Amino acid sequence: MAYELQYYPGATSVAENRRKHMSGKVEKLREISDDDLTLVLGHRAPGSDYPSTHPPLAEMGEPECSIREIVEPTPGAKAGDRVRYVQFVDSMYNAPATPYFRSYAAAINFRGVDPGTLSGRQVVEARERDMEELAKFQIETEMTCPALAGLRGATVHGHSLRLPEDGVMFDMLDRVRKEGDVIVMHKDQVGRPIDKKVNLGKPMSEAEAAKRTTIYRVDNVAFRDDAEVIEWVHRVFDKRTIYGFKPEN
Amino acid sequence: MANDRKKMFAKHMEIKFTQEHGTNKMVGGEITDKTVTYHRLGVDQNPRKLEMKKAGVELAAKRGLVGYNPMMHCGGIPLGQRALTPSFLSGTDDMVEIDDLHYVNNAAMQQMWDDIRRTVIVGMDMAHETLEKRLGIEVTPETINHYLETLNHALPGGAVVQEHMVETHPALVDDCYCKMFTGDDELADEIDKQFLIDINKEFPAEQAEQLKAAIGKTSWQAAHIPTIVSRVTDGAQTSRWMAMQVGMSFISAYSMCAGEAAVADLSYAAKHAGVISMGEMLPARRARGPNEPGGISFGHFADIVQTSRKTPENPANVALEVVGAGCMLYDQIWLGSYMSGGVGFTQYATAAYCNNILDDNLYYNVDYINDKYDGAATTGTGNKVKATLEVVKDIATESTIYGIENYEKYPTTLEDHFGGSQRATSLSAAAGSAVAIATGNGNAGLSGWYLSMYLHKEALGRLGFFGYDLQDQCGATNVLSYQSDEGLALELRGPNYPNYAMNVGHQGGYAAITSAAHAGRGDAFAANPLIKVCFADSLLPFDFTKPRKEFARGALREFEPAGERSLIIPAK
Repeated sequence: MAYELQYYPGATSVAENRRKHMSGKVEKLREISDDDLTLVLGHRAPGSDYPSTHPPLAEMGEPECSIREIVEPTPGAKAGDRVRYVQFVDSMYNAPATPYFRSYAAAINFRGVDPGTLSGRQVVEARERDMEELAKFQIETEMTCPALAGLRGATVHGHSLRLPEDGVMFDMLDRVRKEGDVIVMHKDQVGRPIDKKVNLGKPMSEAEAAKRTTIYRVDNVAFRDDAEVIEWVHRVFDKRTIYGFKPEN
Repeated sequence: MANDRKKMFAKHMEIKFTQEHGTNKMVGGEITDKTVTYHRLGVDQNPRKLEMKKAGVELAAKRGLVGYNPMMHCGGIPLGQRALTPSFLSGTDDMVEIDDLHYVNNAAMQQMWDDIRRTVIVGMDMAHETLEKRLGIEVTPETINHYLETLNHALPGGAVVQEHMVETHPALVDDCYCKMFTGDDELADEIDKQFLIDINKEFPAEQAEQLKAAIGKTSWQAAHIPTIVSRVTDGAQTSRWMAMQVGMSFISAYSMCAGEAAVADLSYAAKHAGVISMGEMLPARRARGPNEPGGISFGHFADIVQTSRKTPENPANVALEVVGAGCMLYDQIWLGSYMSGGVGFTQYATAAYCNNILDDNLYYNVDYINDKYDGAATTGTGNKVKATLEVVKDIATESTIYGIENYEKYPTTLEDHFGGSQRATSLSAAAGSAVAIATGNGNAGLSGWYLSMYLHKEALGRLGFFGYDLQDQCGATNVLSYQSDEGLALELRGPNYPNYAMNVGHQGGYAAITSAAHAGRGDAFAANPLIKVCFADSLLPFDFTKPRKEFARGALREFEPAGERSLIIPAK
């Protein structure tokens, strides 16, 4: 019988959404053009070549190395791209993603990525075109609500703050605004104004966000009610404690 | 257990988030509201920021070189895009500006560290044996009193046996002195009261008996060198300054020959054989001598804080005062400045001792434990629950989920603890301290700390920042490790313990858990009875019985520090 990946325990919608994020089997909800993505990331001008830090690997005459023979380089590594980042901030008010599940999603489903996980933000560094592939995936799918999540390279404060009346997560640098029924971004990740407004699509309704979220909340799916997850955490805790005490067990 | 009890943070949240402070327009609404208006008023909404802005302008004009300018923030977007709100010191009703909880802006915080760094305990018995057995000099309570009188002249910098000596001005070193203490009631009775830390007077009777039994017939000097000396030099200087003045005072008080060999023995006793530093010397890679914060074990720190002799019936309060003092010293000063640099560590620390959020969580836990475990959270030894993993899991899980749900039910508390590291410290300190109080076991409390971290991470999909939670992911493994350096008793761990060396937001919590275990049992001390007695002294400028109140006094500019230089600088 073929092994089937388990990903995560739990019998609630939050646990199910966590499994979806980790598996990469998430629903695509919107599209962002390559030029728009380049604009909001702010690393290079739309349409420009990828800056590189070394010649394409094929031209470099790499040393003989069994690991290099086994591991196929990512497109970005193959081309010699520099390393760049995408960083998301996800509101604790039912944003679809949470930092750890963005990291798990990146590490499980993408190659050549270096996820960093904090409480208010989650960063992925990778060769530039590889990073863009991941960024596009996360922006276009149910992992992201444009109102409850933000692209923020710096000055990330907001994930735990109350929402303003329009439901767009607080951003000190005011990078995104709700215009009509869509969310537009008029500054790049680090808050520099960009040449045109980028339409990030419609925000999720409160009900939809509650349905798609990966955060437990007492006013939606309470952590206390997902007994299987708590039992699993206890098991991890037991094992780690006992391992340190008596490693042969 | 009903968890809809009156929340201890409610009043503070209401004042912070539904009443205007300065001109921040934070008026109306409920502390349970999930939405709010952001007025983006900048720094001009806040009285302290306005004062600082004005000072920055004056500074630039005075020196011809720009300095503080809030418009430099984010290329012209100043702080205050959300409302700038004040904070309350937990356990008090003192409202302060958050800037005033940075130790640079708070004289009480500075003095707390000064008072620890400038303190050393030196045994008297070795010196007395040298005098009696080697030189045949009789030591009596009268000679001890005379010696202490001499030392209190010499220790601040007075000359005793040499001519034409430079001396320090007594008004600059007026915080310097030495007292003594002993577990011998008969000897204590004979000591001049001005020199004595009276264990019977300073501690509840039961604690006094414990301390006297631990100290026995030995006698000790509790010395505090001048703050100004300690600031100019470092913690390692404390024992040296003390030892030099001890040597001089013995020579003078007992009419010794200045060069006789016995003086070297007295000096050796004072510098090495009979000296207790507050902190151990750190390894070369940390490059600090004794009496620097990185060497202060959690047990020593729990003993430095004196709340346990004032509210022995309330172990939660003991732990909460220790967590406040510990977060200030270990996070704001040690990790924030010695080890890291910058100003940001204040935010991690203040979460643990402001606005009663941690307090509410811990007092809820006390009720939970008393209900479920038959009064195990009340002070005592016969009522403790056995420290098992099942008990750790039960108490830490309930504590953590209660705390998380408060953040969810009261969005203003989530906004107050706006960073995951702040929340993690608060939740884990509550869980760990609660387990420690219930079991009387510090390592069981530590175990609860780590489980709280695991639960928190899974509940919210986030925990602390990069460097914050990596230790917590693996921490459970070292709680009871068979390897002695990893499985050390919590009392003997400290900031330089493996994995803790850059562990911001944790060490104050660990010190609190240490104190909680012993306060829960009604112990008079956690690790060292000498340190506990040494700081039971109201003459110290900083009141170690209530550190959080002292921090408030510092923030309100009411605290009178020591070591000031006004006497020797031009009057303004």
